[in-house]
Amino acid sequence: MNRKVNKKIIKAAKDTVFYLFLTTLIAGMLLPVYFIVSLSFLSTREAYRYPLPLVPALKTDFELTYGENGYILSVWDRTDKEYQTVLDTNEVEKMEVYIKARLGTKITQEEIRAEIARLENSGQESIFFTKPRSLLYNYDTFFKVTRDAVPALIRSIEIAALTILISLSIGGLAGYAFARYIFKGKDALRFSVLFVRMFPGVAIALPMVFILAKANLYDEPLGLSLIYSVGAIGLTIWITASIFMGIPKSLEEAAQVFGGSKLQAFMRVTLPLALPGLAASAMYTFLGAWNETVAAIILTQFKPTFSVVVYQTLLGAQGNVNLAAAGGIAMALPALIFTFFLRRYINQMWGGVTV
Amino acid sequence: MATLEIINVTKRFGRKVIAADNVSLEVHDKEFLVLLGPSGCGKTTTLRMVAGLEEVTDGNILIDGVDVTDLPPRKRNISMVFQNYAIWPHMTVYENISYALKLKRMEKSEIDRIVHEVADMTKIGELLERIPAQLSGGQQQRVAVARAIAVSPKVFLMDEPLSNLDAKLRVSMRTELKAIHDSAKATTVFVTHDQSEAMSIADRIVIMRHGKITQTGTPEEVYDKGANLFVADFIGTPPTNFFDVELQRNGKGLHLVNSYFDLRLLPENEARLKGYNKDQLTLGVRPENIILVKKSKSILDTTALVVEPQGSHQVIAFRLGEKIIKIVAPALPKMEMGETIHLDFQQESLRFFDPESTLAIGD
Repeated sequence: MNRKVNKKIIKAAKDTVFYLFLTTLIAGMLLPVYFIVSLSFLSTREAYRYPLPLVPALKTDFELTYGENGYILSVWDRTDKEYQTVLDTNEVEKMEVYIKARLGTKITQEEIRAEIARLENSGQESIFFTKPRSLLYNYDTFFKVTRDAVPALIRSIEIAALTILISLSIGGLAGYAFARYIFKGKDALRFSVLFVRMFPGVAIALPMVFILAKANLYDEPLGLSLIYSVGAIGLTIWITASIFMGIPKSLEEAAQVFGGSKLQAFMRVTLPLALPGLAASAMYTFLGAWNETVAAIILTQFKPTFSVVVYQTLLGAQGNVNLAAAGGIAMALPALIFTFFLRRYINQMWGGVTV
Repeated sequence: MATLEIINVTKRFGRKVIAADNVSLEVHDKEFLVLLGPSGCGKTTTLRMVAGLEEVTDGNILIDGVDVTDLPPRKRNISMVFQNYAIWPHMTVYENISYALKLKRMEKSEIDRIVHEVADMTKIGELLERIPAQLSGGQQQRVAVARAIAVSPKVFLMDEPLSNLDAKLRVSMRTELKAIHDSAKATTVFVTHDQSEAMSIADRIVIMRHGKITQTGTPEEVYDKGANLFVADFIGTPPTNFFDVELQRNGKGLHLVNSYFDLRLLPENEARLKGYNKDQLTLGVRPENIILVKKSKSILDTTALVVEPQGSHQVIAFRLGEKIIKIVAPALPKMEMGETIHLDFQQESLRFFDPESTLAIGD
């Protein structure tokens, strides 16, 4: 009896430790994501408060009173639980700008004038009013204010697509060769393609400036995708080679015996079977090219990629931390969508190529 | 249907490895020919050269008199059943079978007719809409066969098609393959390392070793008249028993003698050895040709080491010096382990081999 109880206690303890560990792990992964998502919706005033609000406010409460320079505008502070003065002015335009930019709240000059009139007509010392937050203000601003955000986004997609095209066509064919043929120096080659990846991007990027400049590809999407392909091809070779190795050679041979040319056999038998692996490989390449920043900073000047724009927003005087967060989320979204569409294939790869 | 000629074909991999060494053979119209040999003997390479999947280093391959040595597989008018079936996992059974027909730009109705015909022949009519992952090994095998007959090839190649099946299915499938061959009347080359499979299915067997053909003949010929020690040993289970004996001539006749027995040869066997003038000889006796006799008639008395009852017969093993000798005896009377047995050789079935050249003598 005693033993049984002991066992139960031990099991409960074990379970507790296990779930604690698991929770910590998940929290460790999800919290940063949560914070950046939340941050991207905060108003600038909120984003610089300490402690940082956990959820963005959906409305803003104002108090309007008379002041030295005209009217004093105060805002309800959720952290300190009081109205805090933010502005003392009689310029409606200034108020509007402040409310929109710093507080991320929807308001028009007419509405402000109406509130002022209400204050004066009421004969009271102060009046209170509430306006809704515009939650997408940061995203809106990021693309409006940040120099080049939209063209940079298009450029990034272009670069990622080009990188996939280059590395999949070269790396995929090389992977096929590694999987199917025996040739001199095969093992040495197989490692040397990974060798390229050992050099940090920055180290290669500087000399590449000169090479690309000579080739008239500096500050061009094609130039950057060529640089990204150098690293991506190696990984693509490794992934695709293992995929092709998983597809029995005899399937292709059968296709040749039963009336196909070598190319037809490859297109109609090997390629459809390799598709999940190729998709996974494309995803890796996409993410690599999409997220890369350091080389992009060095290798672009007037045509930055999206990651460079986000980086500059975070770093420069162009924007605030909440804007950078919005940029970051905007950047993560295409990658998420891309992965979502490929997930069917990638899931298939977890189970191995079913042959 | 057609004939297949392989003329002095050699296949080298790199400089050192010779997979097929000057192989020549002819497969007659509608014949079921089996290439038999241990692994690495070059039988599969030879088959793949016929298929066009392996380049020929030297020599020629003729199908119906036309030199196909340098033609790609699709232009050779052959079809093949692969060891792992090689049916395409992303296509349904119907698509697998019709693939070649579609590439030939046949009419849809014609394709449909052929697919159903071969599917019925191979008993997979109900499975046409399935994908291979939903099929058992035996069913996949049938699909592979159906796909191969659908194109009505001149030559039908099979690369160990039964080796991935379990023992029972293998035996029933080989009977079916034989029946399909008989109804399709296809010239067939079948590769296997299983001699009993070869014996049961072949019109003619070609035995290969080290890339060379060591003997060609009907199953009876290779069984009864093995051309050398290798063939005699390779064909038949349990294998032929070999005894190193000395030829001794004394007044009355020729004796084969070693430290265990003294066998006086009958006149017809004596005649077979007339031209042989060495002292040493390897005697080969099939397990069923060593018979249990009464003590008075025996030339060899020993004790049974192991008795394996097989239902229809029993295999009795005994030790002779270093060697284990196995004989096949009728199921009755049942022998016990440790029992004394009296043995004689059936003289009409003795095989003689030159121990130096390993070749058979006196045929």
